Parts: sequence; C-alpha cells; structure tokens
Amino acid sequence: MELSPENPLSAEPEIDTSNVEEFVEQLRCVTDTLPSRINIDAQSVEQGLAKLVLTLIEFIRRLLEKQAVRRMEGGDLSPEQIEELGLALMKLEAKLQELKTQFGLADEDLNLDLGPIGRLI
Amino acid sequence: MKLYAYCLVDDLDTLDVQRPGILGADVRALKIEDLSVLVSDYQFDAVPVTRENALDHAAVVRSVLDRTTPLPFRFGTLVTEQQLRNYLSARKPSLQIRLGNVRGCVEMSIKIIWELTQHDKPNPPYAATNQGAGTTFLAEKRREILGDEHRSQAASEISSWLREKVSGLIRDEQVTLRPAEKLVLSAAHLVERAKLHSYKEAVSAARQERPELRFLFSGPWPPYSFANIELEFKTQFGVS
Amino acid sequence: MSTSVDQITVIDEWENSDISLLETLDHVLNRGLVIAGEITISVADIDLIFVGLNVLVSSVETAHEVLRKHQME
Repeated sequence: MELSPENPLSAEPEIDTSNVEEFVEQLRCVTDTLPSRINIDAQSVEQGLAKLVLTLIEFIRRLLEKQAVRRMEGGDLSPEQIEELGLALMKLEAKLQELKTQFGLADEDLNLDLGPIGRLI
Repeated sequence: MKLYAYCLVDDLDTLDVQRPGILGADVRALKIEDLSVLVSDYQFDAVPVTRENALDHAAVVRSVLDRTTPLPFRFGTLVTEQQLRNYLSARKPSLQIRLGNVRGCVEMSIKIIWELTQHDKPNPPYAATNQGAGTTFLAEKRREILGDEHRSQAASEISSWLREKVSGLIRDEQVTLRPAEKLVLSAAHLVERAKLHSYKEAVSAARQERPELRFLFSGPWPPYSFANIELEFKTQFGVS
Repeated sequence: MSTSVDQITVIDEWENSDISLLETLDHVLNRGLVIAGEITISVADIDLIFVGLNVLVSSVETAHEVLRKHQME
C-alpha cells in the first residue's frame, strides 16, 4: 500500500487480510441488522415495543445477576440467602424466556444500539 | 426536489473532479457561508441501500481526499436546501472544530477476530455448602460471569496493546470492543497523511507479534468515524 | 435470495462475499454526519427513518395504516 501519484488517497481503499471468509462472516452482521429491524405489519410494531421493554428488563436482570455473584464471592451471604437469591433469579430468567417466546423474540433480538456508545447489552 | 448530501468541506472552492453521484446525478459544491457541502439532486423520497448507491456515495466522498479532508455524511442524507442551511448555521462552531480535528488526516481501519474458546479460563468451582437449585443456578452464573469478565479483560488488553503499537502515530481513535464475539475489536484511527507510511509499518510489525489474532486492515478512508458531532457528547460527558 | 416473509427482501448483492463492499457499508451506513438524527433510507418501497438511538421505525403513516388493516381483519 505505498502512496504514490499512481496510488493517491482518492483511490479505492485497500483491504488487507489473510482471513477473508472469517471477516466476511463477521461483517455480514452489519447488513444483517438492517432487515431484522424492519417492521411492516401490526404484529411487528407490537413486537418492536416488546423488544424495547424486554431489552431493558434483560439489561436489569443481568445487572442483578452480576450483583448476586459479586456478593456471593464477597462471602457476605449465608447459604440460605444464596439459595433464595438463586431461586428468585432463576424464576426471573424463566419468566423473561416465557415473554420472549410469547413475542417471538430470540436472544439476539434483545439489544439496543446506542450508536457511538455501543450496544446496551 | 431534494438534495443528497455527501460530505462537508471548508477549504475547497471548486470541484474539478466530475465524479457522478447517486443515480448518475452531477455532484456540485453548495456554498453555505464559508462551508461547502457536496450535493447532487435527488428526486425520490428515500434512498435505496443498493451496492451501487453505497459505492457511489463512498466514491464521491473520497474523490476530494487528495485535496482536502472532508467530513462525510452518513449514507442516505436526503435534505432540502433549507434544512441544510439550518443545520449548518446551528452547528457551525462544532462542525468547524470537527473539520479542524480531521484536517490533513485520513482514517485507517483495523478489525481483529480472535478465537473465543481460547479465552474460556476454567475458574475454581464455587464451594457450595448445599446443592439446592438456587445455589446451583448461581454457581453456574458465577462461572459464566467470571468467564465474561476474563474475556473483557483479555479484549481490553488487546486494545491497549494496539494503542501502544500506534502511539505517536495517530491523532485520535474510535475503538469498539465486543468481548463476547469473534470480531472482538474494531478500531478507526485518525492518521496524519505525513505519518501514514510509519503507521502502516507499525501495524504490519504489530500483526506479526500476535499470530493468534486475525487482522483486517483497510484504508485510507475519509474520516467517517470522526465526523459525528454526537461524539462530542461522549467525551464531554464522559459517557463510555 | 430473500429472507422470510415477515421481513423485507434484502438486496441480493449483500449475499456476495465481497469484503470490499462490506467494509464500505460498515463505513457509510454506520458512521458519518447525521442531520437532525434523521436518515431516510428505503428498502423495498417502504420509507424508513432512523431516529436517534439507531432504532428503526417505519414511517408513522405506514404503521397506522397497517394497524388499521390488521384490526379490520
């Protein structure tokens, strides 16, 4: 990629990789996200709202799980408390799974792209 | 009739490059105060995301790269002249700062793929005093979460390593880390043209150091990743 | 090659393993200056507007129209 009059900056950018297939597979996600977010029927509009709400709940659920694990590691929970906490989180996970199924949403559907800040989950 | 906007420049008086734009329309420079916007006429209400349109957009933006450093618009920027004027007068100070930030530079792109499984470090299992369902559940979550943290750390390490390899050669960077995915790192580097050769050498050398990682290196690009004004919000308010 | 009936048909060219096109799309679709948080892009005749957080919504009229039709069925 030497710069020269024959290879000015306005020439097409060069792509340099030894792993074309792997990168193609990963970069396809860029274009794949476009169609999966397009909703044209009423059910999908509803689904779009469900997706937003469930994404936020999922985000919070993961925070709770992390908190629980941190406290577990920290050793300030009794075995009974750990068991109770675990059961509660188990139920929450199951409930969310139920809701996802109800709205026909997959795990990958639950996310928010916050632009420069990155994705929520 | 709307305008399709390609990019913003502040130091280009004439356009000698007659590169045709979307749907073959002529591209012209619309002067608004002391800024110019490269535009072409577009008669429909929306812009299809086709291969041809995407490539045309990219080609028009890079056609001025030899003579200046533009701020590219995102694909699909369809506006009336009035909207453009309003936008420019409202954002002029920020835009001028942005133009100053990218002046004389190009964008280089580095993407890295790693072996996800290589970063699954086995953790000492949780010593549970009882085997209730809730405890087992949390023990498993602990294993996952610690694994995630380990992967996040490994991803950050790669990011720091890369930053160190190009330090002194880049003016700015935009890095996205995705520790849970194969495409773990996606970096955009703002490189001064004079340093481009050294930068490329540094990256080539770096690649050799990490044979376990796969690299995709592309460029030069116009500074797409450094154009967006929202990024100012990010640095100003410390959002990360 | 099109995707399922619930989704809009994607332009076939994207199925190509064209790394150069994919890198270009990554740059022009995801980055660059955005005016008033709005980009008008169309896929298969449906006007779409990106708003703020990159959440894609169909144009207001289209959504209401579809909802009305659905309710009449």
